[in-house]
Amino acid sequence: MRQIDAYAYSNRISKLHPAYKVGASLLALVLCLTLNRPLASLLILALMLGLTIFWAGVSWRFVLTLLLTEGSFLLAGVLGVAISVSTMPDAGGAALGPFWVRSDAASVWLALNLFLRALGSVSAMNFLALTTPILDLIELLRRLRVPEVLVEVMGLTYRFIFILFDSLERMTLAQEVRLGFGNWRSSLRSAALIGTNLFIDAFRRSRILETALQSRAWDGALRVLPRKYNHPFQKCN
Amino acid sequence: MQLTFIDVHVRYPGLDISALNGVNLEINTGERVALVGRNGSGKSTLMLTANGILRPHQGALLLDGRPVRYDRSGLRELRRNVGVVFQNPDDQLFSASVYQDISLGPLNLGLTQAEAHRRVQEVAEFCGLQELLDRPTHALSGGEKTRAALAGVLAMSPRFLFADEVTNSLDPWMRPQVLEILDRLADSGCAVILATHDWALASAWAQRVIWLEGGSVFRQGKPGASSWLT
Repeated sequence: MRQIDAYAYSNRISKLHPAYKVGASLLALVLCLTLNRPLASLLILALMLGLTIFWAGVSWRFVLTLLLTEGSFLLAGVLGVAISVSTMPDAGGAALGPFWVRSDAASVWLALNLFLRALGSVSAMNFLALTTPILDLIELLRRLRVPEVLVEVMGLTYRFIFILFDSLERMTLAQEVRLGFGNWRSSLRSAALIGTNLFIDAFRRSRILETALQSRAWDGALRVLPRKYNHPFQKCN
Repeated sequence: MQLTFIDVHVRYPGLDISALNGVNLEINTGERVALVGRNGSGKSTLMLTANGILRPHQGALLLDGRPVRYDRSGLRELRRNVGVVFQNPDDQLFSASVYQDISLGPLNLGLTQAEAHRRVQEVAEFCGLQELLDRPTHALSGGEKTRAALAGVLAMSPRFLFADEVTNSLDPWMRPQVLEILDRLADSGCAVILATHDWALASAWAQRVIWLEGGSVFRQGKPGASSWLT
């Protein structure tokens, strides 16, 4: 997650107005889902990969690793469509121990189509996640007049994810140096202790944050200046 | 301008013991003050009281001779003049972007966006953060986070800045940079009150050292004076 976040801030089009990137991703997603053709899904997949790697300059190794990870989950999901398993004897199926396994060309084609549609959609979301800082998405929602309280909660949640990540790393290390996570039993105990302490830490930090905000004349609304963006065909700075 | 504590007693809700026990203190703009004392001596409580987060249950806090009012406008006026930088910058940086985090204070004071933007740029330059304004706060180093937290308070143009052990977690290379910012701030007429456990730093940096013990001022004076540790 940290790496995705780092790419979102450091890619070549990070300062491009988020509306363009959200628009491109949503268009690709809608096309992928509505056209429902393997070739269209493949083209969208190739286009999104191209935009992410060549336009935004995100490392191809990272993009492909990410896609491979997501693809393996999707593959596991569509296997059930391609292959049907039954305990009842099936004339057209193959016996595999007590089970009957069956597959046909139509099921495989359907699974492949589904797989490519999902992979194309995922690549569109990857493009958005790897090129657009979360802050920009939050800012876009603010400009789209999403209720301020939702936007503020999103911003604070995002900030707290990283603060609690740091706490989690410290707590895990503290457990490990005292032989926590040594075996299955101690792993359960260590994880439970960390979970409890993390909750307490989150509560304590939220109270300190409130105090810190009050010290800066906060009156309930988190007013901040809007960010500035580049537009297409304008040199990124 | 002067910030005055007159017999200030502060008690945390639900606790019988007072965290501040009759503090009498005067701080003038332009002063460099070190606040020393062991853990639990009342340093952080004093800072929160100065900013109006905590309210004295006895005694009074005066800003330029006038008692502080604890209504909305009174607190805004107090916080415009008295800023606090917390010990852990992660406790203070709420926004994911440095630029937006610094802009919170000025906008809370009711400044226009143009004026707030001008202030953000000004303090970013003052704290050496120009290149980091677009960076997410979680991607900053410890020293950069401290400077960003400092900038967030300085953008409100305070006349009194309380810095709670801000140099403690800094490495030896970053510490002079933060102290240099505090020096320039004091030279510009702001009172800088630095809470620290570091006696050497307090003696070398401050014009006046205030030693808190058990919630009251145990001793105060110029650092290095012969009567100090007797």
